[in-house]
Amino acid sequence: MDTRQEFHYRIPSRVRGQRPGSHLGSSIGAGQEFVAHMSLYDRPDPRRLDLRASLRALTDEWLVRVNRQRAGVAVRAIVDVSASMNFGGQRPKLHVVADFIEALGLSAFRVGDAVGMMAFDTEERADLFVPARVSRGMGSIMAASLRDVAGVAQITGACDSATGLEGLEAAASHLAGQQGLIFIVSDFHWPLERLGAVLDLFAHASVVPVIVWDPAETEPPERNALASIRDAESGARRTLWLRPRLRQQWRRAVAQRRAELNASFATHAIRPFYVEGAFDGDALSRYFFEAEV
Amino acid sequence: MSINLDFSHPWALLLLPLAALPLLWARSDTLLFSYLPWLPADPAGRIVGWLRSAFAVLAIASIVAGLAGPGRPQTQVARTGRGAEIVVLIDRSRSMDERMLPSNWRTIDPIVRTQQAWNRGPQKSKTARDLLSKFVAQRADDRFALMFFSAGPLPVVNFTQHDDVVLAGITAGGTGPGLSSTDVGRALIAAIAEFDLREYSGSRIVLLVSDGGAQLDPPTRKRIAAGLARNRIALYWLYLRSINSPSLDSQDPQSDAVAEIAMHHFFQSLSTPYHAYQAAEPKDLAQAVADVGRQQNLPLDYLERIPRRDYDRLCFGLGAFSCVMLLSFGAVQLRGWS
Repeated sequence: MDTRQEFHYRIPSRVRGQRPGSHLGSSIGAGQEFVAHMSLYDRPDPRRLDLRASLRALTDEWLVRVNRQRAGVAVRAIVDVSASMNFGGQRPKLHVVADFIEALGLSAFRVGDAVGMMAFDTEERADLFVPARVSRGMGSIMAASLRDVAGVAQITGACDSATGLEGLEAAASHLAGQQGLIFIVSDFHWPLERLGAVLDLFAHASVVPVIVWDPAETEPPERNALASIRDAESGARRTLWLRPRLRQQWRRAVAQRRAELNASFATHAIRPFYVEGAFDGDALSRYFFEAEV
Repeated sequence: MSINLDFSHPWALLLLPLAALPLLWARSDTLLFSYLPWLPADPAGRIVGWLRSAFAVLAIASIVAGLAGPGRPQTQVARTGRGAEIVVLIDRSRSMDERMLPSNWRTIDPIVRTQQAWNRGPQKSKTARDLLSKFVAQRADDRFALMFFSAGPLPVVNFTQHDDVVLAGITAGGTGPGLSSTDVGRALIAAIAEFDLREYSGSRIVLLVSDGGAQLDPPTRKRIAAGLARNRIALYWLYLRSINSPSLDSQDPQSDAVAEIAMHHFFQSLSTPYHAYQAAEPKDLAQAVADVGRQQNLPLDYLERIPRRDYDRLCFGLGAFSCVMLLSFGAVQLRGWS
């Protein structure tokens, strides 16, 4: 079965860059978007000579049309590959992420954008770094490396709950101030206090948080049972006695977490995109079309 | 009371650190979850989880402890009892299986009396056992030793104040038919010897329950007389008379030829206290037993040996219970997320 999907994305702001692409650019060049008229002496491009405007002009000079060209951007995915991303009821969340990355590679190539990847767990994962390139096979390469990571059982020892953020901060520092589109792919299972500082680093880029959750996380098991549960990252254990009241609390905690995430991204005018169970390219397209431009 | 514990196989306790195994982190039955702080805090679940670990530790620990064989060591306890030390010496011979006279035997025609007596009355040994059981049960303060005799003495219970043991011994006397011969002399000597190594701590009684006597030869008579005198023992003879048995209080000088009467005369000639009770029917026997019961009551001091008591059954029971609890926890355990 071919699970490769595609989605359409757009960037709300104008982007710099000379490489032609599909996004609204701020640089002047061969585009359809008219900006202004300039003197032929200032911009010696007789192909764009605008006779009608030149006659109408008060000053006696030849005017040239100046257009903006559409530009290509670098699209980057910053992927959380920590142990919690390896969790999944049916399949690891990292596989879902790999589906998404594959779709991203395909979609970016179709519109001529370069695509690259950075990964982090407790620290930046340099072994999974892929520089932004325009290539047809980028998505498959990145997805394959993610699937390989998912296969390796990684049970990190005693980590405190603040982990995840250091890795993200390190990865983010490389992209600080750059333009483009940045997907932060994670389950966001870490404290959100320092998330604001990370998002500040991406002030010039448009950020799309892709929140990957597994149905096993968001929906408690239906059976009344006793569950001994071990944290994938810290190794802490807890026993839950699943019963209707606990299920209610569980769902409430999920809803509350969702609200917290929405609120903390909203302060940066960002709307997160939720992936639960499986990646749906159409849903992501819809997400971009709904966004304000 | 101090808790004395000893172990029959103390080396097994070396395995005790295994009990810490359930507390280790790596457990195969735990489900991985991405982010525990997300899940609601569940105090009930925490208690259940704690209980489960506790049961697991307890299961291993109690099995190891059981293997080590814990127990309370054998001890001796000084007890003070009131009442007498009584050796109950019961005839186990076949004649005791015969029947006593029915209670209305005097009204029965003498011609059919024998016939009646064979068939109607209660069995002598059974009546004697029942009454003696009652007697033992009533006299909780006395210490009893139980001895049956036939061709030789059959010691059953040493001196003890645990009446249930004595009662069980008396009941056991009803197993199977009686034995063949009766040697009162050897039995009496053995009964007297029961007292030999004991301190004199109160009144001593030999209660001979028999339906017949035996001719005692002079050496035996001498030993009996000496023994009774040395150990200061009172002798009571419950003579179970059946039909055609001689009466003890016959005045006929030639009646010494009858073994019972000769023995009675010999006992009467002793320097130590002696009393004979003739019982022809169950009522007489009851009277005689009650009579003995009214006799001496003096305080007694004695040491009692308390045997070693094993606690390993307790340990294994606890282990089994823990395992059952673990199994029931396992039955309601969530095995997977989907």
